[in-house]
Amino acid sequence: MFKRNTMLMLLTLGLIALMIFSVGCGAKDPAPAPAPSPEPAKEEKPAWPQQDIEVVYHSKAGSGGDIFLRAMGKAVEPALGKAFVVNNLPGAAGATAWTRVAKAKPDGHTILGISSTLVTAPLINKMPVNFMSFEPVAMMFIDPMVIFVPADSPYKTLADIVDAAKKNPGKQKWAGGTPGELGVVAGRELMKAADFKVSLVPFEGGGDAAVSVLGGHLDAGIGEYAEIASSVEAGQLRIIVAFNKMPLNQEIPTVAEEGYPEVDVRKLRGIVATKGTPPEIIDRLVEVMKTAYDDPSFKQYYESNNLIPEFVVKDDFLKVMEEQHEQIKASLEN
Amino acid sequence: MIFEYFMSGLDIVLNWNSILAILFGVAWGTIGGMIPGINATIAMALLLPFTWGMEPAVALMMLSGVYCGGEYGGSIPAILIGTPGTNAAAATVLDGYELHKQGKTGLALFSSLNASVFGGIVGATALVFLAIPLAKVALAFGPAEYFALAALGLTMICSLGEKNVFKGILAGFLGILVSTVGFDPFAGVPRFTFDILSLASGFEMVPLMMGLYAITEMFKQSQAVVGNDGFFLKAQAVTKFPTWKETKPLVFPASWAATLGVIIGAMPGAGATAAAFISYSEAKRWSKNPDSFGKGNPIGVAVPEAANNAVTGGALVPLLALGIPGSNSTAIMLGALMIHNVAPGPLLFQKTPEIPYSIFVSLFFANFFLFFIGYLCIKFAIKMTNISKPALIAVIIALVFTGSFAYSGEVFSMGVALSFGLFGLGMRYFGLPHTATVLGFVLGFIMEANLRRALIISEGNYSGVFASSAISSVLLSLAIVSVVFSFYRGYKASQKSGKTVAL
Repeated sequence: MFKRNTMLMLLTLGLIALMIFSVGCGAKDPAPAPAPSPEPAKEEKPAWPQQDIEVVYHSKAGSGGDIFLRAMGKAVEPALGKAFVVNNLPGAAGATAWTRVAKAKPDGHTILGISSTLVTAPLINKMPVNFMSFEPVAMMFIDPMVIFVPADSPYKTLADIVDAAKKNPGKQKWAGGTPGELGVVAGRELMKAADFKVSLVPFEGGGDAAVSVLGGHLDAGIGEYAEIASSVEAGQLRIIVAFNKMPLNQEIPTVAEEGYPEVDVRKLRGIVATKGTPPEIIDRLVEVMKTAYDDPSFKQYYESNNLIPEFVVKDDFLKVMEEQHEQIKASLEN
Repeated sequence: MIFEYFMSGLDIVLNWNSILAILFGVAWGTIGGMIPGINATIAMALLLPFTWGMEPAVALMMLSGVYCGGEYGGSIPAILIGTPGTNAAAATVLDGYELHKQGKTGLALFSSLNASVFGGIVGATALVFLAIPLAKVALAFGPAEYFALAALGLTMICSLGEKNVFKGILAGFLGILVSTVGFDPFAGVPRFTFDILSLASGFEMVPLMMGLYAITEMFKQSQAVVGNDGFFLKAQAVTKFPTWKETKPLVFPASWAATLGVIIGAMPGAGATAAAFISYSEAKRWSKNPDSFGKGNPIGVAVPEAANNAVTGGALVPLLALGIPGSNSTAIMLGALMIHNVAPGPLLFQKTPEIPYSIFVSLFFANFFLFFIGYLCIKFAIKMTNISKPALIAVIIALVFTGSFAYSGEVFSMGVALSFGLFGLGMRYFGLPHTATVLGFVLGFIMEANLRRALIISEGNYSGVFASSAISSVLLSLAIVSVVFSFYRGYKASQKSGKTVAL
């Protein structure tokens, strides 16, 4: 009897160990690292990378940004010669992930995948880190933001919706994100530029917001293209205007084309490194990241998802984040 | 037409790769669900990177297998150790653990398995035939309607405090209070976080539940062991498969629960936990013998399990019919599709009908496999009751802390679990029902967020929220009636026992 129990205990523990092991490690890409490419040794290049690169990200495995990083990882691995391992640390509103990289050894082996959340979250919470705590490497893509309405909405153009809002200030209800989120920032910038007012109803997930607009509970919505793409394709939602020119939908006008070029909101995706990382390694990182754009399967991924490639590196990237910082701060204040 | 597509879906499912993928998915999901701290979503997220090398249809089939298994697996520890393996199984603890303590372990475990498989099949069938009308139902729910639905679900706290209505309400309100901690999505400021960064996004569900259920229970059991209450379970558990006579009374309530589960599953922003709780409270409300709930009524096991497994079918409705993921689990499926450059949504049915239809067919297979895998898992898990209690308690505590930690990667979460464990022990001392607190926590935030949204839409007019549609008026009226009725019953009960209600 006892023996049998012991056996069962061992079996249970074994199963449990397997699960826990996969919790700890499963989030990482299981694909084996491709063999280091027999690159001819170039004299001035630093000896980097010497090990797999850990890419920390602040949201859960399976989230949009996580999938993006993993797809990009596959694309840069050939140039990197090592594996690009995504580590998801969703705790403490992002601070867990960011502090880890901020405090990592500045050798370019631990880097951070970022989105505009890195700019927003420290403005909302008191955090020991913000975007300035890192060495900017490269902004890679912009997630296009759009204003959408139900397919049967009377509003066809931005002018329609602005005119209607001017007649009845605050009467239109738009689904948007939470304060500080870039959709809200975009909405505020546009309202300021075009001088109109609508009520923004905060939603935490893009899905809920889109369904509420689809169900006719709200007049319009403002958010990422990716979250509503299939409903637009199926003709249930209609995009009125985009904040960024979308490669797949050239026919959709941007706010700049509609007469508000001063509204410049870019929801960014990029890579930063620990402060103090040697400039040679930053340069190598920039070089490696750039190769991602040419990878055929990654290209198919970002093109079909309507991500806008925009390669802005180092100090220029920092400038983009600084501008965004001011925009978000202003939107949080009013 | 449907038939043709269905056959092409069947074609894809009927090959060894697919069958093995589904089988593995179900097993993985069930085991994950059994481990406190790993729910269906996490189990799916863990497998996601492995699906990248697969055909999109096969990847999706495997993930739907995990989804079905995960929603079921949580009920096994809920029954055997009073700790739900997943959030959605929290309602199953109420009667399941009670049945186990009475020695009716087999009845509880197998009823939950039968109900889960049944619910899963109802969900899959509804998905195949009713996806479009279900999507319409989901669209009819705006902020006011969600608020009303959550309010109705929350009225269940009145009846959880056994004889004392106020204890249930107090415990429920504690849960709502806890749900307000974190980022206020309307004002854009942190609330009640006391500048603790780890609280910036609020309390996580996993460590909170693990603390309230598992740690409290383990503390209590440790006390019993120390008080030499015996190392092993006293009553010899009956572990036989229930007879038809025992199963028959479950069929009708489980059918209702499965229907409710499909509908709630189709609404983005509600989820399996809400579905399980709402169907449990409705089953209790309409039962001829509501007092038997919470004291080991097998209906109390069958109903939440039928509902949370029916959610799997319902939750795929917004993903497939609208292209919008309605829950965390379907968001992961969306991720699996996106990585293969397949965009979900209505066009999926025109462009690549074999993908949605193979998902449909695989759901039926997954539920069929679930029956056998569940059976094996039960046979295995039942043996756990023979393990000496100190060993079991040690293993569970280790699991609970690892699970809490793994979810967020923060030691802080382990502290959260421990604190809620102690808090739960205190609540038990005062006879406050834990389930009411969890219910308040789950529904509190849905209620608050949607009420505030509805108020922005109605421009601050409360009556506008109430009367914004027939759905919200009916649901809110039901909620009020149910609160009044609970008080009336509490009053009657106290008169009968000769005591006055503690006011």
